[in-house]
Amino acid sequence: MTTWIIVGIVVALGLWLIATYNGLVGGRNQTQTAWSQIDVQLKRRHDLIPNLVQVVKDAMGYEQETLTKVVQARNAAVSASGPAQAGPAEAALSQATRGLFGLVESYPQLKANDNVRALQEELTSTENKIAFARQFYNDSVNSYNTRRQSFPAVLAAASLGFGPAELFSMPETEKEVPKVALR
Amino acid sequence: MAGTANFVEAQAGNRRRTFLLLALLTAIAAGFGYLIGWALQNETTDTFQIVSPLGLGAATVMATASIGWSLISLAFGSRMVLSMADAKPIAREESPQLFNVTEEMSIAAGVPMPRLMVMETDALNAFATGTTMSNAVIVVTRGLLGALDRDEMQGVIGHEMGHIANLDTRYMTIVGVTVGLIALVADMILRTLQWGSFNRGSNSDRPAGSKGGNSGGGILIVVLIAVAIFAPIAAKAVQMAVSRQREYLADATSVQFTRNPNGLISALTKIDAAARPFPGVSSATQHLFIVNPVQRITASLPALLATHPEVADRIARLRNLGGQ
Repeated sequence: MTTWIIVGIVVALGLWLIATYNGLVGGRNQTQTAWSQIDVQLKRRHDLIPNLVQVVKDAMGYEQETLTKVVQARNAAVSASGPAQAGPAEAALSQATRGLFGLVESYPQLKANDNVRALQEELTSTENKIAFARQFYNDSVNSYNTRRQSFPAVLAAASLGFGPAELFSMPETEKEVPKVALR
Repeated sequence: MAGTANFVEAQAGNRRRTFLLLALLTAIAAGFGYLIGWALQNETTDTFQIVSPLGLGAATVMATASIGWSLISLAFGSRMVLSMADAKPIAREESPQLFNVTEEMSIAAGVPMPRLMVMETDALNAFATGTTMSNAVIVVTRGLLGALDRDEMQGVIGHEMGHIANLDTRYMTIVGVTVGLIALVADMILRTLQWGSFNRGSNSDRPAGSKGGNSGGGILIVVLIAVAIFAPIAAKAVQMAVSRQREYLADATSVQFTRNPNGLISALTKIDAAARPFPGVSSATQHLFIVNPVQRITASLPALLATHPEVADRIARLRNLGGQ
């Protein structure tokens, strides 16, 4: 009799472990998929910025301080890894590109330049996509972390190798998506 | 997906309503089939019958046809709507901004990127169609591409993406093609009757080879005229009931995606100010557009007959969501 009770407990424990494990795997995969969506857009942004800087530099004939700032922020953002590091770096980059957009606005010959306008449109769009994808990513992270930290999964999560997922927040741009008037 | 959780309820509602609409249509078609068969039978026999085998046969045929139509419209409904509207695919190079904005909204909504098409007209309008989320199409007019700035276009595409995410597009597409079909059939019946009476009138001395003669044809003709007159009215009523609530919901969904009510407010203002009928808009497709291009909503038009709420009303609600 006691043997059966023990067997029953072991089986129940095994089933619970399997269910917990599978649930956590699903959650983790979703956060990774969501992150890769953001990552694609971040890479695209990092690729677009040097082009815009180059076009602006060519059109103006000299290098402005604003441009140096953008390039520095861009390089810092490229070397950041993981959501927690990338967040502030990308926020700083957004700040710097806003400065660059401001520069474009105040120079009619830049505003009229088709290349500048096309690049500005692409950059605005990638920023928007990052913002929209971030919402979905953070939702997935929250639901994964909650599952991971809930009792009784919390007893097994760490020993099964499920670490916490990092939120992606861009402190400077938290309130509003940068807007550029494109005419 | 976490991002689409809010839409599950709206989607289930639209699936149910689509099914109910098609089931109702089948029942009505069967009813009319019976009536016509019954009238024909009473015309050809001397004894008056309530239960008519010919009526039952005709009812079966009509019901089968209606079910067939349901399946066809679910499979090809969006293609029919697109060809009624004469929409053509648009290349990315023609308007990168339109593609960018749509990609942004599809990320925000968590739905696959819809196809984009354009209607060649200066008028300002847009609509979405599609019977599933993966065959969805957003159509804008050429005029809209030139008239709206980025934020405004984002508001409009957000509204259409809301229709797709809520699966409004399925119901609205089915209603559109069904209204079109009913109008077509009613028109055909009326034309046939006209032609028939003309023929009969001019050849009155001809020996009546066809059965029925003059007196018996009465019932059948009355039934057919009733069908031809009441079917379009009923179809219209269904169409009117379709979309007022949905437009408010899609406006709110757009703001949820863009987090910017002002873009949609100013887009609606522009579209409303320029609204007019244009080629490609018919009574079957008018309810699909973001602002009804045919029906200018005025004080004289009762709200019950409108497919869309008044734009001023929509803007007032958007202001409540934080717009200026």
